[in-house]
Amino acid sequence: MEPITGRALILACSAIGAGLAMIAGIGPGIGQGYAAGKGAEGVGRQPEAQGDIIRTMLLGAAVAETTGIYGLIVALILLFANPLIGLL
Amino acid sequence: MEGTNFIQTFIKWLASFEPRVLILAASSLGAGLAMIAGIGPGIGQGYAAGKGAEAVSLNPKGSKQVTMVMLLGAAVAETSGILALVVALILLYGNPLVTAQGAGIILAASAIGAGFSMIAGIGPGIGQGYAAGKSTEAVGRRPRLQSSIVRTMFLGQAVAQTTGIYALIIALVLMFANPLTKLL
Repeated sequence: MEPITGRALILACSAIGAGLAMIAGIGPGIGQGYAAGKGAEGVGRQPEAQGDIIRTMLLGAAVAETTGIYGLIVALILLFANPLIGLL
Repeated sequence: MEGTNFIQTFIKWLASFEPRVLILAASSLGAGLAMIAGIGPGIGQGYAAGKGAEAVSLNPKGSKQVTMVMLLGAAVAETSGILALVVALILLYGNPLVTAQGAGIILAASAIGAGFSMIAGIGPGIGQGYAAGKSTEAVGRRPRLQSSIVRTMFLGQAVAQTTGIYALIIALVLMFANPLTKLL
């Protein structure tokens, strides 16, 4: 096996770190699914308020999405603009 | 025993790198670990969004009021996610461990530990989102009681935040005032 350079180790750990960051996607998935379920329930109960219900649901789901986006940003930074390599 | 114990082999392999390499590699792992905290606000705010949709369906005229309480609660539930993001960005762009004095393996492990610590943010995120959802439901049912409902929600959310703050303190201690390197 060829020896592993320091640069290679940092890049390898960056790959693992990017993967770990994306675990955050669990949360928005569960939360937005719950919101969608309740939204469907609400429209079923009060069909004439459909517009208002969907607006409230989408607004809340957009807020729930933020942490997933943060995870994605950190993963993309690790992959494409890794600041740690520059520190070596 | 040479080469038979995996942990010994692994430690020897780690020791073959420069300390700076280990710290930088561990920092990328720590940044990834910290972001796992995003699970919490995601679940909590989604719950609040669902309760908002439900409350609007029960009381369409109170749509604006319900939405406002939902967003207020969701904003508080977001804090743990933001704190984790801050720790990840510190590890990536303002890493204090790179220039710190001490054994490389300890500083590297501290970066991973700081990331692990921030995973605690899952709890406050889910809990505060649950409080936001229930408050949204209550305001939809009794809009006139909005101010006392929101006050109770904030009080509960403040208590729910405490463990997240403890995690942040430990992460910051590991990064900026590490007591472990002095013990070597």
